[in-house]
Amino acid sequence: MNSRNSKMTTDDLAFFGTVNASISHELKNILAIISEAAGLLNDLTEMATSGGDIQLQMLQNCSRDIVEEIQRGFVTIKRMNAFSHSVDDPVKAVDIADCLDLMTGLAGFLSYACRIRHQPPKKQVPPVVTRPFRLQHLIYQTLVHAFKSVGPDGEIHLSLQREMDDAARIRFAGIGSGHSAVFPTESAGSVAASINAEVSIDEERRTIDIVVRSLDEAGCDGQ
Amino acid sequence: MKVLLVDDESKFAVMLSKRLNLRGIDTDYVHTGKDALEMVGQNRYDVVILDVKMPGISGIELQRRLMDMDPALKTILLTGHGSHDDFKAGSAEAVCYLSKPLKIEKLLQILHQIEG
Repeated sequence: MNSRNSKMTTDDLAFFGTVNASISHELKNILAIISEAAGLLNDLTEMATSGGDIQLQMLQNCSRDIVEEIQRGFVTIKRMNAFSHSVDDPVKAVDIADCLDLMTGLAGFLSYACRIRHQPPKKQVPPVVTRPFRLQHLIYQTLVHAFKSVGPDGEIHLSLQREMDDAARIRFAGIGSGHSAVFPTESAGSVAASINAEVSIDEERRTIDIVVRSLDEAGCDGQ
Repeated sequence: MKVLLVDDESKFAVMLSKRLNLRGIDTDYVHTGKDALEMVGQNRYDVVILDVKMPGISGIELQRRLMDMDPALKTILLTGHGSHDDFKAGSAEAVCYLSKPLKIEKLLQILHQIEG
């Protein structure tokens, strides 16, 4: 029986570290762009001061890029904040759509990430009581496997459906066969078990499904 | 001197190439390893500046392939990670590695050393 008080595992910490490392890399890229834009603005200003033409379009492009990258930075920090706070409550009612949105955003920082198309659910999916951090971990591992199977030029489709009153089905479609790793891995299997989730692969349909069922009030899976 | 810049962050590549061009360094840019291989196959470059982490072909692997195509080519690795593992993997072949955000004065110093 998995209780509300299950402790962080080494895998959990590795996941937390991996995501934070990718966030820091993203922020560094953003700062590198802003740095180059500021440098270019300085170059253009010096040229104009020395009697060269004022390159108005380049100046405008630089300013626009700085604004866009700052906005990108804010979005990244917002995601980092949401992810960091996912460990606040060991068990809570989770909006799975929000969770998917956050994890696809974070997984998108990976250099081998492919395009993800979200398909809106046909009916509203009610929140599921689960361990938010573990669910994020499971979704992230599935996305990593999906990315590696299709490559960075590929595309996967993500959908979410209500499954009975207290469960949700997340489907990753368009999984490729180009990755030799078995899924779910031992780690993903263990994470899934800890939140009473089922992971299944349909090789013919090229899909991976995660069915997440609510834990009871004690945060146990009822087993 | 002719330089090819390879970075999947398109804005970074565009701006850095503009800054180098403003300083009289003829610089092209591409965003993928595949495009870099094509460019080096079609043009003669003195230096390739490439990001270590890119989708598809990694920067280190790309460096090896480019140098196989043109053994005279000099490479400078860019890293946003500052990872010593990245550096160790490619440092034998590369002139040096630089961390982002770049100090353009440092890059220029290295390019002038290569040229001179």
